[in-house]
Amino acid sequence: MTEYLSQNDLREMTSRWLPPHKIPCRFRVHRDTTEFFRVEYDDVVVLGGQTYLIRHNAKELRFGLEDEVKFWVKRAIDLTDGSLKILKLVFRERFVANIGDIEFECLRSPRKEARILNLVADSPNFMHGFSVEDERGNLVRVLDFIKGDPLSSHVQRMDIDHQTYFYQFFPDVLDHFMDCLRAIYFLHEHGEKHGDIRRDHLLVDSDSGHYRWIDFDINYRHRENIYGYDLFGLGNVLVFLVGKGDLLLRDLKKQGHPALSTLDEEDLNMVFNNRVVNLKKIYPYIPDSLNRVLMHFSKGTTWFYENTAQLLEDLEELRNAA
Amino acid sequence: MTGEKKFSNKNILIAVDESENARRAVFYVAELLGGIEGFEVTILHVIPLPEEDFFPTASEKEKWLSQYRVKIDAMLEGYRQILIAAGFHPNAVSVRSPTRYCPSMAECILAERDEREYGTIVVGRQGLSRTEEFIFGSISSKIVTHARNCTVWVVE
Repeated sequence: MTEYLSQNDLREMTSRWLPPHKIPCRFRVHRDTTEFFRVEYDDVVVLGGQTYLIRHNAKELRFGLEDEVKFWVKRAIDLTDGSLKILKLVFRERFVANIGDIEFECLRSPRKEARILNLVADSPNFMHGFSVEDERGNLVRVLDFIKGDPLSSHVQRMDIDHQTYFYQFFPDVLDHFMDCLRAIYFLHEHGEKHGDIRRDHLLVDSDSGHYRWIDFDINYRHRENIYGYDLFGLGNVLVFLVGKGDLLLRDLKKQGHPALSTLDEEDLNMVFNNRVVNLKKIYPYIPDSLNRVLMHFSKGTTWFYENTAQLLEDLEELRNAA
Repeated sequence: MTGEKKFSNKNILIAVDESENARRAVFYVAELLGGIEGFEVTILHVIPLPEEDFFPTASEKEKWLSQYRVKIDAMLEGYRQILIAAGFHPNAVSVRSPTRYCPSMAECILAERDEREYGTIVVGRQGLSRTEEFIFGSISSKIVTHARNCTVWVVE
């Protein structure tokens, strides 16, 4: 039975967490979140007996372009305990993704994300939360807010030269990233894919220090290798971390970098042909063993990683040798 | 090598799908071995268990699966007729379409091979770009790399 919430009830609940001048005069209550555009700032969403005060829509940075607003993802305050949450409402999106000139079908699956949330509840390297159906049966995911920045920003913001980064900070970054690799391996061993591995889908939790995967609601139709696209994402993140950012040909040209003349097509990313993967040519102090791992994601590779275990094994070996 | 099981090379598995490459593989076997006695051929299509995420309900998934099976049965029978027309005895050509959970189609094909002891696997080359092979994998390449104690024919 749906519990009735009066405006006074809501005002009282909200007053525990917000100063008086921020409490809305009137609350709109949603128990059906089907039309997520209509769920707005200062509205209340009731899910499974819990009450959430809606704040801003989430945003996502897309390759340095203006932030894209995700209208189905809302920041919220749990009015029971004042904790910050992210509510992911149901957006049934099917789209064709492009990787280079390859097209493949993707879809947004609340069910997938809900399943994985259950699976990873004990893992420090994933976002945490639970799923609950609203009045219309929409499967909403209620996620604990992670205080922290994307790993990409965390690394790029370090105001130090690459050599200092590589020797003083990268070993720790790599150790954390390897925990994240083990987390993806765990998913794969349980028959699940992340589906959208990107450098900004790893957050550095400022409370725990762990790197945590977010946004695993995308599924894609795989072909021979169910985990290939995840592996491709992991490789891109690894190259990014080793390089302390993307090393783009155009930037090297602007700088008149001496190594530019030594680079050829085989040194570049398999898909993103403007990115250098053979980082040892730019940073000669990168060990051969690490560079060999990176080169498995280059255009010049003759062998591809088939699964996360192989990538982990290579990294563990070079990490143990260091 | 002593005690290692060797499979008869006259027991052939052709792994197919609806592609032109698969059709070429069937025609190749037909032209090469049609009319020669002793060879038995199984035409295999592994139906990958569809992921529930792609269907709004379980019944939609089951409906898709049964429609897909009808389509595949017709495809396999068409390939079977190609071999019979080339001179294979009808009793020497069979078809299989098991449904399996397939994180890797190549591994599923190899699992079928191991269970039923075929001496030769025939597969068509997909003609993937390097990028496609890198991100999505290549069935024929993986079969060539991982097959043991049998012969693999990759038909261009």
